[in-house]
Amino acid sequence: MRWGAFFSVMVIVALIILYEWPKMKQNPKKDKMAFFTLLFIGLVLSMFDLPHMGGPTAWIQSLFRPFGRFMEK
Amino acid sequence: MEKGKISSLQMAIMMYPAIVATAILGVPSITAKYAKTDLWLSPILASFLGYATVYIAYKLHKHYPKETVIQFSEHIMGRFAGKILGFLFCFFYIQVAGLIVREYAEFVVDSFLVNTPISVIMGSIIFLCALTVYGGLEVLGRAAQVFFPIFILAIFFFSIFLGPDFEWKNIFPILGNGVMPPIKGGIVPGGWFTEFFLISFLLPFLADQKKGMKYGMMTVFVVTMTLVLINLIVLFVLGPATSFKVYPLMSVARYISLADFFEHLESFIMAVWIVGAFIKLSVFYYAAALSTAQWLNLSNYRPIVWPIGILILEFSFWSLPNTMGLERYLVGTFPLFALLIQTIIPLFLLMMASIRKRKRQASQ
Repeated sequence: MRWGAFFSVMVIVALIILYEWPKMKQNPKKDKMAFFTLLFIGLVLSMFDLPHMGGPTAWIQSLFRPFGRFMEK
Repeated sequence: MEKGKISSLQMAIMMYPAIVATAILGVPSITAKYAKTDLWLSPILASFLGYATVYIAYKLHKHYPKETVIQFSEHIMGRFAGKILGFLFCFFYIQVAGLIVREYAEFVVDSFLVNTPISVIMGSIIFLCALTVYGGLEVLGRAAQVFFPIFILAIFFFSIFLGPDFEWKNIFPILGNGVMPPIKGGIVPGGWFTEFFLISFLLPFLADQKKGMKYGMMTVFVVTMTLVLINLIVLFVLGPATSFKVYPLMSVARYISLADFFEHLESFIMAVWIVGAFIKLSVFYYAAALSTAQWLNLSNYRPIVWPIGILILEFSFWSLPNTMGLERYLVGTFPLFALLIQTIIPLFLLMMASIRKRKRQASQ
């Protein structure tokens, strides 16, 4: 766990909420849900050691492995 | 969702840096690895993908004039399959925006701000682009309009100032090893050309929709010419050494010397290039924010602009431990993945849309 990254993302998330919340008070509930869900995903992801972790990018890379081998020649 | 209107010329001006900015940076050396001295032919071959993509995007736009790809894929494929496809597009644009940020930051850290932490550079450019995207499509179009002349003039002067260093015979032998090397070299630029599918997010908001196709095709042509010009400059100055440089354009810029007085013009070139990268990232960021908002049926895309910025920042690190990992992804995965998402799937959608239309007309 990288505390530095996690805490800086947490500060950024707090700033975003402070900045955005007054503007979106009258928006539909769906907007607020999406806003907080995306922020939450961002916060959760920041807990991991992302550069050395498998993820969508790595999955796609292994999906296209034959093409990668063709390009390496 | 988006109330702003842009002109088709503004669309062209936005799309030009959106393709060229990163394509002139590292791509010439990747192309040179495969095509050797024929690297200037590769963008011409790759441009056919660009023309095809613009044609497909425009035809789809004709079927559903007021909707972006996220909305009409639901109409074409049905609700469930359309949602899956829409998710694919959202994911693709967020991920590509992450890759652009990473390329940009790696370049800046590698060549200039050696001691600055990479996350600071990424954070600052994302912050700037988030402000632009938050402003809306019109702001984005105007910003591109302001910066476009600087970008073009820089490339123009760049090619003039390097004139004395040109070694014209570097271009020979033309097609010395047959046509296969330039074709293989065209694969990676081809991935960049498929990014023209972004016009699908801009076409619904054009004030003069009829000109969309014309300006789109024109942009592909101008982009092709620019890439050919840049590749030729790099080839004329560096010759066979092109493939060993990570950022050939930067290495070439160091050769500029005017009257023994103006030296180190590469910092100027970089300043201009950053402007291009800013437009590029903003356009992709806009596409990511708009497509996510439409995918979730939100009333406005503005509330999710900042959260998406955090996701872009995280995607720029995810599974890419170092520069080598990034380059391996850009060469070995990105061209085919981009082709699949941005040309083949839309082609499939277009076929389904026209079959549906014909059926509807037959039943009437």
